[in-house]
Amino acid sequence: METILRVEDICKSFAGNQVLHDVDFSAEVERIHALVGENGAGKTTLMNIIGGIHQPDEGTVYFRGEPVSFANPLHAMNRGISIVHQELSLVPNLSVAQNVFISGQTNEMVPRQKVNRFGFINWKELYADTRDLFDHVGIDIEPTTMVSKLSVSMQQLVEIAKAISFNARVLILDEPTSALSEKEIDRLFGVIRELTRKGVAIIFISHKLDEVLTIADQISVLRDGRMVDTVRTEETSRDEIIQMMVGRHIEDMYPSKSSGVGDVLFSVEGLSRRPYFHDVSFTLRRGEILGLAGLVGSGRTEAARAIFGADALDAGKIMLDGKGIQIKSPTNAIQHGICYLTEDRKTLGLFLKMLVRDNIVSAALNRFTSQLGFLRRRAIQDESMHYVDYMQIRPPTDEVEMISLSGGNQQKSLLAKWLSAKPKVLIADEPTRGVDVGAKAKLHTDLRKMAEEGIGVILISSELPEILGLSDRVVVFREGTVAALLEGDQATQEEVMKYATR
Amino acid sequence: MQQVALMVLCVVLALGMQSQFPKYLNLDNVEIVLANSIGDGIMALGMTIVMITGGIDISVAAVLQFTAILVGMLMNAGAPIPAAIVVTLIAAAAIGWINVTLMRIFNVHPFIVTLATLLTLRGVNIVITDAGTVTGFPQQFSAIGRGYFAGVDHLRNSVVLFAVLAVITGYALKNHRFFQEAYFIGGNRRSARMSGIKVERFLVFTYVLNAVLAGVAGIVISSQYMAASISFGQNAELRTITAVAVGGASLSGGTGTIVGTVLGWLFLAMVRNAFNMTGVNTYWQDVVIGVVLAIAVFFGEYLKRRQVTR
Repeated sequence: METILRVEDICKSFAGNQVLHDVDFSAEVERIHALVGENGAGKTTLMNIIGGIHQPDEGTVYFRGEPVSFANPLHAMNRGISIVHQELSLVPNLSVAQNVFISGQTNEMVPRQKVNRFGFINWKELYADTRDLFDHVGIDIEPTTMVSKLSVSMQQLVEIAKAISFNARVLILDEPTSALSEKEIDRLFGVIRELTRKGVAIIFISHKLDEVLTIADQISVLRDGRMVDTVRTEETSRDEIIQMMVGRHIEDMYPSKSSGVGDVLFSVEGLSRRPYFHDVSFTLRRGEILGLAGLVGSGRTEAARAIFGADALDAGKIMLDGKGIQIKSPTNAIQHGICYLTEDRKTLGLFLKMLVRDNIVSAALNRFTSQLGFLRRRAIQDESMHYVDYMQIRPPTDEVEMISLSGGNQQKSLLAKWLSAKPKVLIADEPTRGVDVGAKAKLHTDLRKMAEEGIGVILISSELPEILGLSDRVVVFREGTVAALLEGDQATQEEVMKYATR
Repeated sequence: MQQVALMVLCVVLALGMQSQFPKYLNLDNVEIVLANSIGDGIMALGMTIVMITGGIDISVAAVLQFTAILVGMLMNAGAPIPAAIVVTLIAAAAIGWINVTLMRIFNVHPFIVTLATLLTLRGVNIVITDAGTVTGFPQQFSAIGRGYFAGVDHLRNSVVLFAVLAVITGYALKNHRFFQEAYFIGGNRRSARMSGIKVERFLVFTYVLNAVLAGVAGIVISSQYMAASISFGQNAELRTITAVAVGGASLSGGTGTIVGTVLGWLFLAMVRNAFNMTGVNTYWQDVVIGVVLAIAVFFGEYLKRRQVTR
């Protein structure tokens, strides 16, 4: 098997902080190679070096046996190494074809310009070539479609096709499945397998060990910037991988369930907002974690948003502590003690350009304001450092910009923000998305602790094991309404799926 | 959608005016309507590209003034008309180049840099004209702004020039690989750069082109009035940006078309003319234009929101 890519003794530091120590890694054609590790282990940095975004401080990258040094990502792309990042970078106001074959310096591999002698675009050729590329990769999207009309998963497929169009021999996918539904993930895997058959080497960075075990041929584990080991998938197990990632056994992935549940804290009846959801009713008791399960698009997030006052309800009643309440806006909801930890932390929960400290208190500013309206800086600092400690946020300071934190630490900060708001009810929507195993376990423990302290927790997650492992009861959504309410032991994967699908 | 709405508005306004003033759609009047705003139109073409990249250039009015004065002074100093024009356009290009270079070197927002240029140039213009008016241009110079194309009555050379420029920029923006970069830069500058687009190169091109077009506008205006003074181009930058925004370009970049801009310009030109004809207090003009801009922007945002899938 041809080893098309190899890196040796790679070291990299950022601002005095060493992120990679003597890392060796190699990838072979026609193989899917997964790279796993906790947040901050160095996966993305390693890939960025391979892809030409960063230069290593020490060590060499060998491509096709030759040492190479890429001055910039385009250089790497031209030689055949492409990265598809987690953040999509398509331009929404142009067509898919234009996005795939945009102008760029290509003096080497493939003529991409699809233009005539004077630089004018040859539309027929552009669309035809795009169609050919999509057929080759196995995607069914019309090249003339405006990117703004595509869903996230479709855009991602376009990005992959674009990377392939550079005749990529090595394709690096960074957390490709975090925003995809099961069906979309299957489709993605189909495309990836097809590419492998065509001779591409695929490197797959992911937190989702189940997926990694399904699709990868080999798995490399990074821990704290060092390569722990590379194993063949068929020769290893989930536990072994986890052990390599964290250096310890993680038994009992989920904390134990509730010991005693109290009276009804919060209930909703007949909530409707057509066409998103209708007739949604459930109760939440003190001390319990209520899981909302269901396929993507079944209306859970929409219902949660409406409860939180972010969207208007057409009909329905909400009761908190036995009293009916009206929630007209998120501010209103927070005043009542209902908090919502959003699905998309970057755009809907955190202020990336502000400090960790400012983010943590951002939902509870009233508590830190003096009579005259000035902020009590000292109190804010105490509060934020308390949470940095409690949530084990790394780096252990509240004075850095949120944007510099890893995904897992950002998520911890987001939870800290809502904890600081002292909620009665917390709706956690995908609270561990994009978070590594270690931080995930911590977040689960924190959610359980919150429940035990009397806070009602509503958990929305597309990871069924998480819902089942964490919830005391499960509400199953289907097509915008409640299909079933399952008590603890009734809630199994089969039962949930039975009600979640037709 | 926005373009359709604009077209409808123009037609409605035209018919409305026609009913009040039977001579409105006379070619005489059409000629005036177009000629009065032709400077704004030419500048709007360049401004469209600038705004698509997510930038802005508020120095254009001062550039217009400056080039009008410069070309006049050069001609008065004895330079042959073509030479004066070429030198003036080069000077305009230089101003554009200074703008974009300052942006790059100091990493300052385009608004601030072009504001500085605006104020500086305005001052320069006052100084070199001594707050007076430059006149006495050779008669042939008026051909640009007043002459008729191929002798066709009512069809001014300046209007033809504008049409040609509009068609070229419109076609290029839609179909030329290089001009497409505007949309990528405006849509997502970081990934444009990572895709190999030479962002700096394109921005230099954009701002220089914009300044040159402002220079063309200045030459056209001075030819039309056969004079040049600091009273030219008052608030032209606001009118230009308004036309582009009404035409559908967003200030945050990534959107905009020449067709939309031309329609926006046309509508505003008609509104201005309507004020002149009906004799409504010109101070109300600004109010109306402001309202039109607000409606156009909100309408554009509304359409965009409806388009985006959940």
